[in-house]
Amino acid sequence: MNVLTLTARELGRLLRGRLTWLVLALTALSPAAGLTVLRFTASETMLSRCVADPALAAGVLGGLLFALLTLWDSARASKSRVEVLTDAAVSPLTAALARLAALLVTAALALVLTTLAWLPWTAYTVGAVFDGLDYLLAYGILMGLALPLCILLAGAAWQFTRRFDLSLVLVAVLAALSLTVWRGEWQLCWLNPCVWALSDDFSNFRVLRSAAYMRLTWLLGLAGVWALSWLCIRRYGKGPLGSLARSARRVYRPLLALALLLCCGWSYAAQPFIDRSNPDLTVMSFFEIPYLEGVTFVSRTAQVFPDTKAGTVSGRASFRFENTSGQEQKVAFGVNPGYTVSDVRANGVDVPFTVSAYQEYNEALLEVTIPADGEVELTMAYRGYPQESIPTMQGGKELSAEYLCLENSALSPRLMNVLPGEDGYPAAIEITLPEAMTVIPFGSSEAEIIAEHDNGTRTWRYEDNGTGGILYAGDYVREDMEAGGIHIQFYYGRKHQAVMEAVGAADAVQAVVDYCTQHYGPLSFGAGESLKLIQSRVAGGGYAADGASLLDEAGFTIANLADGAKGAAAGEVFIHELVHQWWGLGNMFDTADPSSPWSAEGLTVYTTYRIAKELYGEDYAVENYVDQWRAAVDDYYLNFYVRCPEYLDALPEAERLAISNALSGMRQYSEMPLKILKAQELVGGEEAMDEILKGLFTRELDPMYPYLTYQEFLDACGLTEEDLSLD
Amino acid sequence: MTKIFSCECRRLLCNKFFIGLLAVLLFYAGQVFYLAVLPGVAHTAPFSPWSFGVYLGRLLPLLWVGALFFLTFFTSARERRAAVLTAATPADPRRYALTRCAAALVGTALLCLAALALAAVCYARLFGWYGWDTLVLPTLVTLAPPLVFALGSGWRLGEVRPWLLYVWMAFPFVLSALPLPQALGLWDGSFFAGYPLTLDALDPAFSMPASAWLAQGLTLALGLLLLALPSRKQGV
Repeated sequence: MNVLTLTARELGRLLRGRLTWLVLALTALSPAAGLTVLRFTASETMLSRCVADPALAAGVLGGLLFALLTLWDSARASKSRVEVLTDAAVSPLTAALARLAALLVTAALALVLTTLAWLPWTAYTVGAVFDGLDYLLAYGILMGLALPLCILLAGAAWQFTRRFDLSLVLVAVLAALSLTVWRGEWQLCWLNPCVWALSDDFSNFRVLRSAAYMRLTWLLGLAGVWALSWLCIRRYGKGPLGSLARSARRVYRPLLALALLLCCGWSYAAQPFIDRSNPDLTVMSFFEIPYLEGVTFVSRTAQVFPDTKAGTVSGRASFRFENTSGQEQKVAFGVNPGYTVSDVRANGVDVPFTVSAYQEYNEALLEVTIPADGEVELTMAYRGYPQESIPTMQGGKELSAEYLCLENSALSPRLMNVLPGEDGYPAAIEITLPEAMTVIPFGSSEAEIIAEHDNGTRTWRYEDNGTGGILYAGDYVREDMEAGGIHIQFYYGRKHQAVMEAVGAADAVQAVVDYCTQHYGPLSFGAGESLKLIQSRVAGGGYAADGASLLDEAGFTIANLADGAKGAAAGEVFIHELVHQWWGLGNMFDTADPSSPWSAEGLTVYTTYRIAKELYGEDYAVENYVDQWRAAVDDYYLNFYVRCPEYLDALPEAERLAISNALSGMRQYSEMPLKILKAQELVGGEEAMDEILKGLFTRELDPMYPYLTYQEFLDACGLTEEDLSLD
Repeated sequence: MTKIFSCECRRLLCNKFFIGLLAVLLFYAGQVFYLAVLPGVAHTAPFSPWSFGVYLGRLLPLLWVGALFFLTFFTSARERRAAVLTAATPADPRRYALTRCAAALVGTALLCLAALALAAVCYARLFGWYGWDTLVLPTLVTLAPPLVFALGSGWRLGEVRPWLLYVWMAFPFVLSALPLPQALGLWDGSFFAGYPLTLDALDPAFSMPASAWLAQGLTLALGLLLLALPSRKQGV
């Protein structure tokens, strides 16, 4: 009987077993754990909550269930003491192969059943931003690939040890390692890949590629281990080593196992996703490179060609310098560690260059020797897969036909040690992208289309001034509006259009900018007449620069917009998130102290209330904001742990932090706004408070500590902490 | 009958299924304790009867499922085939059935005790708190009526069609999705979170309105009645 026939019979036998169907049913149910007790992601996007977490939980629980099924099935013959008979009928090696194949087919069936079972609920819950491809990829990679890993691991453990209990312990130990100490090691957490967030509005190929790569590395390794254990299957009454010697007589078998293990090792070492930047973030040696004497910058250009299918970038950069030193000079650039630099020429002649193995802040050091000529035109080509620095927050270098973000040295080599010329660092960037993508330079520059190609791509061009630069591009919707005396370009993902329209995003932007500019002053990062508000892919926060500000998509998810603590209705939560442009980004706050209610949220919620009052009237604002804060604060002071803090102190640290964090959230969102409201009464009303806040917003910043503190707020109000007590 | 009772108990308790169920229950209980009970309920302490009631309410569906799973031991197809033999023995079928039901009750009680023991350990470890006497009444009033009812109703349903037991297992989950009146709030724990807030006092002692007492009493009585009714089929 050949392996295929035997596999079909094994599969039939497996599918007749009640245990198999129990495992299939429990695996299909296991995504529910991801919605409740087994949360892996750190983001609140809809796809993180409703797709990534359930799929990861299904991978962990389903994988462990299939490991149990594998062990149970492997031990079946020996438990029934019929091994002698079955071994006489079929070679144990053939039987093991057939069993493995049957289990893998069953795992595939489990994946299909689970994916189909959860599809309707997920599509309904995620709503307008649901994406079938993301769903299938997430379940396939995060759940589907976990099952064969567990089957191979459990099968190998059994074939090595021939002990059910010992094999179970081995599987449990490796699973526990993955779930605990390896959790932050993206290449080691084989059971629960490091997926911290999935984007709702843009693609997720980068983070899913990384998870798939890790899983395939482990698949190679475990397939190698399994093949080795397969050779150790006991034959002719021999022990593991005797059986190995016997089975290895066909040389291709051990060679195959060895090749798989070597491929795994190579795959582990040659991963293309994460750089090897110095983990010590206090070291900034690249910024300490001295400027060259006698060399000044004239201009630079870059032609960038992202491959949106492969996720890679190729480009050509050209730099013009004046070299008055009369000697050769070594120009330093920062390049993304994933790029290979080639074809480096100065005035058309090849020049020597080196790329350092040392990396820092997601850059490697490229040093090029330029000749002693008075005018030098340096050109170079670069190509590769842009690497990231933080393995537990992958996805920042997403590059697809839906979205890309190329920052500084990922866009073009970043010049480090040449002084600017009379015009600073003028730059002209050209980038060729699919026609559905809109190019948005992060800053005051405007990109324009300069060529349309037959292959469905367009070349965009923009001018900038600087050694680096950030470029966003994606399938964006743009809305233009006038507010607060400036022209606002509001960009958001096309997939989010329905949500944005439902919450009246454009009106909200206008209302917030008008209100905040009038009451607190214009944003410091607005470029005079215009401001770009760009919704970014989920990135763990936003940032702002001259003429542009980033809005993290996590603030605009359907779930977040339904968060009553931030605003009475979805549109008001949207307002809340926009107000963070003033309180949080325009005026920064230090990391919130859990024992204090002071944070960016207090002023943001207060401002949201004021805007709601202006838009919908006092009664509405009092009912939906002030009354809610009062109720929450009353609740807070009645809380058992607030009344009896000694019990909170007695708790272990993890539990204490969980409770105090929950309480501090309420303090930031409800207690602080109430205190500010009380301060408003004490200082003489809304207008007086607006003046105070305007003064704080436009104050001169201390560059060493630019954060707005509670004490500064109290001093500006002429009040003390006791004055704002709510007792 | 004592021998049969101990034999049935051994069958129910000394197997992988019971151990697996126990492990799942303890894991779930631990999660409920840390996530729902530890923060305290309705401004009361985590070790108040109200917080503890929420703990029991959340565990009830799992205990219900456990109780019904025990009954599947006695209603399976294999068991029905063996019933021909047991029916031929001189043992009184009614007493035999009650003995088996008592064994299922013991299994369920052990599951409950395990959950209670876990809470006791957590209370002692985290707060050094041992005032268990205040929790006896909420425990009895929360767990006893639904679980006796589960055994009684499950027993009868299993006699009609064994697979009905599996359908019946979903009952508390369905209930938890419904907006129950306050009198039935003990079934999903919502009573313990809501009722103390209506008492207008901080840390109120445990009490229940008459409607809740009545609902729990009726449930218990119905459960006992179903257990006491003569078997539809002999030997099961």
